[in-house]
Amino acid sequence: MSTLLPFHKAILERIHDPSTSDLLVLARGLGLRRIIGTLMKIYDSPQSLVLLVNATQEEESEIGEELGIMGCRKPGLRVVGYETGSKDRQELYKKGGLISVTSRILVVDMLQGDIPTHLITGILVMHSERVTPLVLEAFIVRLYREKNKSGFLKAFTDQPEHITSGLSPLKNIMKELQLRKVHIYPRFQEDIKKSLERRRADVVELSQALTEPMQEIHHAIIQCMSSTLSELKRSNTTLDLDDFNVDNAYFRSFDLVVRRQLDPVWHKVGPKTKQLVNDLGTLRRLLYYLLTYDPLQFHAYLETLIASNSTTASGGVKQHQSPWLLTDAANIIFQVAKRRCYIMTSGSKLHPPPVIDLADDEDVWAALDDVENAPTGTSKGRETDARPPWIPGYMEPVLEELPKWNLLAEVLQEAEEEIIRQESMKKSITAVNTGTNTVLVMASSTRTCSVLAEFLSSMDHDAPRGSKGRRMMLRKLRLYLWWKSKLAERKQDGKSHFALPDVVGRAGDGFDKLYGSGDNISEALKKKDREKAERAASRRRVRGGAPAAATAREGKQKAEDRESVMGEIQQEAQSFADFWESHSQGTSDMSLILEDDLTLLDFESGALENEFDTHYGLLVPEQTVLIRAYSDDTDDRMLAEIQPKFIVMFEPNMEFIRRIEVYKSAHPGLAVRVYHMVYGNSCEEHKYLAGIRKEKESFERLIKERGTMLLPLLEERREGAASSDAIIKTISTRIAGGRREINSQLSQVIVDMREFRSTIPSLLHASNILVIPATLTVGDYIITPEICVERKSLSDLRSSFNSGRLYTQCELMSVHYKTPVLLIEFEEDKAFTLDVVSDLTSYAKPIGKYPAKKKQCAPNDQDYTVMLQPKIALLVLSFPRVRIIWSSSPYATAEIFKDLKLNNPEPDPAKAIAIGADDDPEVGAGVNAAAEELLRCLPGISAKNVKHVMSRINTVRELCEMDIFQVQELLGMEPGRLCWEFMHRGEERATKR
Amino acid sequence: MSAPATTNTPVVPPVIPGTGTNIIINPLQRGNLVLDCIRNVGKEFGDIIADYQVGRTTGVLFLSLKYHRLHPEYIHIRIEKLGHSYMLRILLILCDITEHRDAIRELTKVCIINNITVLVAFSFEEAGHYLSTLKQFEHKPPDMIKERVDKDYNAILRTALTSISKVNKTDVETLRTSFGSFANIAKATPDQLRNLPGFGQVKVKNIKNAFDKPVRNNA
Repeated sequence: MSTLLPFHKAILERIHDPSTSDLLVLARGLGLRRIIGTLMKIYDSPQSLVLLVNATQEEESEIGEELGIMGCRKPGLRVVGYETGSKDRQELYKKGGLISVTSRILVVDMLQGDIPTHLITGILVMHSERVTPLVLEAFIVRLYREKNKSGFLKAFTDQPEHITSGLSPLKNIMKELQLRKVHIYPRFQEDIKKSLERRRADVVELSQALTEPMQEIHHAIIQCMSSTLSELKRSNTTLDLDDFNVDNAYFRSFDLVVRRQLDPVWHKVGPKTKQLVNDLGTLRRLLYYLLTYDPLQFHAYLETLIASNSTTASGGVKQHQSPWLLTDAANIIFQVAKRRCYIMTSGSKLHPPPVIDLADDEDVWAALDDVENAPTGTSKGRETDARPPWIPGYMEPVLEELPKWNLLAEVLQEAEEEIIRQESMKKSITAVNTGTNTVLVMASSTRTCSVLAEFLSSMDHDAPRGSKGRRMMLRKLRLYLWWKSKLAERKQDGKSHFALPDVVGRAGDGFDKLYGSGDNISEALKKKDREKAERAASRRRVRGGAPAAATAREGKQKAEDRESVMGEIQQEAQSFADFWESHSQGTSDMSLILEDDLTLLDFESGALENEFDTHYGLLVPEQTVLIRAYSDDTDDRMLAEIQPKFIVMFEPNMEFIRRIEVYKSAHPGLAVRVYHMVYGNSCEEHKYLAGIRKEKESFERLIKERGTMLLPLLEERREGAASSDAIIKTISTRIAGGRREINSQLSQVIVDMREFRSTIPSLLHASNILVIPATLTVGDYIITPEICVERKSLSDLRSSFNSGRLYTQCELMSVHYKTPVLLIEFEEDKAFTLDVVSDLTSYAKPIGKYPAKKKQCAPNDQDYTVMLQPKIALLVLSFPRVRIIWSSSPYATAEIFKDLKLNNPEPDPAKAIAIGADDDPEVGAGVNAAAEELLRCLPGISAKNVKHVMSRINTVRELCEMDIFQVQELLGMEPGRLCWEFMHRGEERATKR
Repeated sequence: MSAPATTNTPVVPPVIPGTGTNIIINPLQRGNLVLDCIRNVGKEFGDIIADYQVGRTTGVLFLSLKYHRLHPEYIHIRIEKLGHSYMLRILLILCDITEHRDAIRELTKVCIINNITVLVAFSFEEAGHYLSTLKQFEHKPPDMIKERVDKDYNAILRTALTSISKVNKTDVETLRTSFGSFANIAKATPDQLRNLPGFGQVKVKNIKNAFDKPVRNNA
């Protein structure tokens, strides 16, 4: 493991003391995980019980691994998830050591006394920026501090940007975590500066200009954004919309800002504003995709966008079109995006391709010219490449490439040369370890990574700039075309589920009419094919196999006109093979480069990695090019393991720069050269700079707040005091002389295990009510022996009305309890209303003539089933005994519960658990809630037999793999058939074709 | 203005509550703006204990929170008068103030004690809509909110897959078109899923959790 830098040590020095509790705010990329790991190693001993809370699954495994590397192995960090049974958990807690627990489980264990809370040595809280009074972590801390005063609590965060909303955000977090000390370490802190700036990495900044069409699109998108923004401002004059500018709109958090401002009035804003807010998100995504997707993908995405914007889910023509789609700028986006891919000419098939009229539009055509001339200039063997037979005659492929691809190719070339140069010089000084010659390419997403890998592996080295990836692009184009034609077939069959809009159809454009859902499919298949192609491409012998593999599957699916297609495809595959044959027989120079080419590896997909091992075994690290996506602190270890000499940052990333700094300082002997690529004058550059600024500002704010913060006095919560408090509250002076017997028992509420996802248990506990977790079959909360509450948030309510689940639940509650209650809970900051439909009158109308009206006003009808009010009315009529509680927030819910408890006897947990549970053999077992929900939705599986099914199958996947007889055996004849047919429906159709 | 009690004209002698197809309205409600919002059902005034009688056994009391703030005792008197009549007793609250929390809490408690179901409307239209639907649905079977069996394939698929958190309708479409059938979706590898447009790590993890993790542990 890499050494700790001086500033790491300084931080550890300050926070390691197990008798104090601290909050550490560290700038991202400076190795927070390393600090946590070291800290845990210090605390590791069988005598202590240290809990790690709020870590994601990935973090758990990474930290575990890191601890293992540091030599803290037996037993190291153990993870408690819902799979661990409660007995095992108790055992585990008793043995002590380092344990990572899911918050929900920890809360339940603390409440049930499964974990000896008073014996906990300490708790480490990750992601403490997310702590609010409503989250489980705050509840955990409260429970912990109630019984344990001496243990420590260390909280960590590396996201200072999150701690900025509200009046004094830092104070609130510290109050919830009951902490009094905070350490803030920004990048500009003295120690950190000193440690990192001694040795600097050799950074080459490369600013790449966008191509003309890209600039055009970029400009147009920005224009759309600003017009959307001003539209939004105009329609919401009352709101404080100062922050609404295009600069802020680059960031993802902007949506949140807008939503937060609009939430309280969300029901009033009307569909238009909602649409606008959504549009902003879409436009921002477009900007990002413009810079990362290849032109074909971008074009395809735009097509889906148009299609989905002009139709509703039910296929009707959409009422509220996004306004930006109708602007001129949007038209530019669509036109130019298409021109980046291909141009439609009206000429006949025999028209020779190279003749191009340059007068039309200089910019775009210049690129085309470039591309078209390239193949003829380089080699004769590439004639097939210039004009493959599958491109329809009226289509001129343009296939612009992203400029960064070429830049990357150049950089790799340079790195290679550098390696060779150093190789020749190094002979004399062999002792010093200067790191491996690996070239590390970092990109923002795995998708970019796979595209890059594909580009590099199919790159044409002596093609001119701008057409190096022509081969890849052609492949993509073919897939694209194939899918479009496939869509055409589908449409003719009348099987398309996606109604095709008339709006987008353009005359004379055979392919463009066929927009629709298929674009998604192409993604998946593209990926599959790409993987195959990649794999094949990296094996020299089977080079020609890539297209062959692709065509084989195409052929399979197009069974009907197999012969003609196969003929064409085979011929084409042959031509590809021929082409490669001639290609590899070229100059020796070329084959050398190809050799390098072979070593390109994509470590991203696990499948490839396995393949890789079987095919190659060990490889000299000298020639590898690794392509990876930015991730979290895991990158630190990756850097330390790979020790790359060259790092190419395909997209700017502040954290990674810091990681390199840390890596560089920790490994003094290693030479690193960093290539940092940015699109000049683009949103990418802007975003990067603004990101840095934002982080700096938030740190400054935090430091300022720390300076002026009033430290919260921690409220002592003694159990005795709490109960006497409650007693005082229960004796009202209105009851004559307080004659009522004093209730010595602490008032208690039984809460279903699954409800610990919500915030109510925490709030109930905060208001001095004993929360008893239990697995309940009927209801969510048992308040008194007679009152049983089923909680539904608005979205829950809607879905359980639709699925009929609520009806069943109410039925069950009515059977077992005297006062069944439905709690409709609204959200804290959101509007306390149901969706107001602008014109209610029309909805009350059609009931009598419902069937008759159905066909005339389909959209109306749709909305009618969506509306909640009639359903609530019907529910009330069907269950006269069910009461409804309308609660505007979880806080209000807690108050109402408290009210209802007054003067009422306490519920009995044992009884509550037993109710309705007699048919379930495995009460109390942990249940995979997501899987249960999924099962319930399948046809043939109802609320009645879902328990039975769950006890018989292991995973949902297992159910899917059963044959029809097994399913029928499980569910009975008719439901079994229904279920099986549902699960396998799409397949049959595919094989029939 | 929204006060349920009227101050002006003396009441016209009520007609006999009768035919059963009309909402019977307590003459006290004359002048209430809700009356204009009750549409598509017949209305008649009649001598009843509740404010609105929307069914043979269903009585509705109406209360505007604005009024309640001024006359907090009014509703208690009305509830007392109601006694034990009606099978289904509804208090229709019109939430027309912003500080509704305490009022609703208090009313909820009173209603639970007195076996009254609370409905909250947020505008006169909504209140009127509730009243008319309650009347219209008087004899309607609860099929609309019951578990339904005969739904078309796409709808079931959509509800099934969207039950996994973070999965939306577009994703369902993407999954369906990419993998064909439900069973194939279950078999999809995380890598395949991750490469679909719009699928991030969290979503993929949620999907895989639902399909591949055991449905219950062996505790």
